[in-house]
Amino acid sequence: MSDSGDSDITWIFYKDRPEWSDVTPVPENDGSKPVVVIAHSEKFEDVYDYFRAILQTNEKSERALHLTKDAVELNPANYTVWQYRRDLLQALGTDLRSELDYVEAVIKQSPKNYQVWHHRRVLVEWLQDSNLELELTHDALLQDPKNYHAWQHRQWAIKTFGLFEKEMEFVDNLITDDVRNNSAWNQRYFVMNNHLGWSDMNVQKEICYTLEKIKFVKNNESAWNYLRGVLLHDSKGLSGNTEVTSFCEELYSNKCRSPYLMAFLIDICDEAIKKGEINSSYNAEKALDLCQALATKYDKIRCKYWNFIAEKFRKYQSNQD
Amino acid sequence: MINEENKELAHRQHVKYFMRFLNILPSSLSSHDSTRVTIAYFSVAGLDVLGSITSISIELRSRIIDWLYLLQVQPRKSDGDMSTCGFQGSSTINIELDNANSHYRCGHLAMTYTALCTLLALGDDLSRVNRKAIINGVKALQTEEGNFSATLSGCESDMRFVYCAACISYILNDWSGFNVEKATDYIIKCMGYDYGIAQCPELESHGGTTYCALATLSLTNRLDKLSEYQMDSLRRWLVFRQVDGFQGRPNKPVDTCYSFWVGASLKMLDILHLTNYNSNKRYVYETQDYVVGGFSKWPDTCTDPMHTYLGLAGLSLIGESGLLEIVPTLNITRRAYDHLKSLHQKWDSEL
Ligand SMILES: [Zn+2]
Repeated sequence: MSDSGDSDITWIFYKDRPEWSDVTPVPENDGSKPVVVIAHSEKFEDVYDYFRAILQTNEKSERALHLTKDAVELNPANYTVWQYRRDLLQALGTDLRSELDYVEAVIKQSPKNYQVWHHRRVLVEWLQDSNLELELTHDALLQDPKNYHAWQHRQWAIKTFGLFEKEMEFVDNLITDDVRNNSAWNQRYFVMNNHLGWSDMNVQKEICYTLEKIKFVKNNESAWNYLRGVLLHDSKGLSGNTEVTSFCEELYSNKCRSPYLMAFLIDICDEAIKKGEINSSYNAEKALDLCQALATKYDKIRCKYWNFIAEKFRKYQSNQD
Repeated sequence: MINEENKELAHRQHVKYFMRFLNILPSSLSSHDSTRVTIAYFSVAGLDVLGSITSISIELRSRIIDWLYLLQVQPRKSDGDMSTCGFQGSSTINIELDNANSHYRCGHLAMTYTALCTLLALGDDLSRVNRKAIINGVKALQTEEGNFSATLSGCESDMRFVYCAACISYILNDWSGFNVEKATDYIIKCMGYDYGIAQCPELESHGGTTYCALATLSLTNRLDKLSEYQMDSLRRWLVFRQVDGFQGRPNKPVDTCYSFWVGASLKMLDILHLTNYNSNKRYVYETQDYVVGGFSKWPDTCTDPMHTYLGLAGLSLIGESGLLEIVPTLNITRRAYDHLKSLHQKWDSEL
């Protein structure tokens, strides 16, 4: 993938570079009869022979720093090269700002590589400067709005450096772009939980927001899951918020048969039964009807699961008798 | 790609596929240079689940075993320090280093875990494994938070390595390097508002990390630390991952590997049988290359050893014929697991 190999005509092997003539390359010791052998290019072998040599002599020099760049380009997943590079940066007192630029370029090429994001994080920790992190992760998320590495780095930077200020706006935009973006919904919860807080008013606001989004796309698990998340902070639980329950009832009577709606109604029944609300319309019969409808018509792929859930409600019924 | 022949297991082709990977790989795979042990694991474990471990000749078997042991990092000669001990993923940094920089040559939890599984599948007796040293290496990698770093030399720490550390401790039958309480707390902190489990606290729930978390709880006998409500909600989150095959997160595309990650999670929670096996199977077979062997994550894309092994392991979980049973926690065959149990007995009798 990253091995440009022999196609690079301007490339000069380290073994042919006069300024490296004082170094004896160290070949890989893969034993006498290795397995899973990668048929590396000559360039790869050359670079890593010299990398092993400087590692062995613990050489801390500009040329070593340059060599790690070549080594990383050939295999950005080599964590030892990255670690040695960091040790070189410190030993040489290299300008870390230019290193930030460099790793940004590498991230753009390999946005799903663990090592590059780790390198970035260490640099930001050293500099104690997170000015560029929101933009960097924003760019990565433009390419792939669900890139787990980018989200992880973003959450870390936000939490460590308190960068919550404009995060809700960012989340809103992502959800507007794609209401099914589960990562964005998760980030919404993150901002609420760590920054805006779950005051009664905020809970109500988030419920309104989520119900709007569900109205827009009803069969969206991400929004339904978020609604459950918000209701964790409502002391009346899943079943006690009349705005939520009447919304669900209305959807249902308007013929919406999204499995997420129906599952939500089943869970409301479960909660009402557990709370001992005997006269509630959310009872075992209703749950059983919903399970039956899911199993036979609206969510057939989970037919056995819904029958299994129905079993639980049948037990509730027989306990009542 | 759904044609008649692609509804059945291309058994012979998959055997050939793995045998090729055990030998030589093209230079296009250079970016896997530091993780060759995992390729060995997927290939050997793949042959094992295919019931074809005997396709590996005695000569090749000893080559693989000798090569793996070459990657075992031993205690530092000068002072016996064991914090770097474990298996390396390849011989790229397999060189003698001075005290000052000996930490660059260090074990990696995922490589140690997959090396041990490979040795078990090959029937090795682990007598050349420096158990005490490896456990000390594991211990050196647990963080304050309770999770584990991959290596001593500058790596991220997350749920994947909690799982690897738990497997290593289980296989070596020694938990002295693994603080179970701390790890359990970490896992519970990673449970999201949707009751799936994430790589780190507050990140998005994910099928792969949920597997790592559940397998760890299972190996440490801590599944009961989840409340009944958490358990039921997690089951719900997991069964909702089925589309035809399985996806790793809500509203993400289906991918062959989640037939294992999510399938094994459901199996550990005793409800895999409530999913739709036929749809699952049909999807996985859509990603099979019937001609040259291998599975890919999506239909008509490139196959790779990881998706090939996990595709087979996922099929094994739902009882596909022609495949050996998989132990969902350790991700090895029952055959390899029984061998491990006999080693445990032997070690116990030696105490
Ligand atoms: Zn996959």
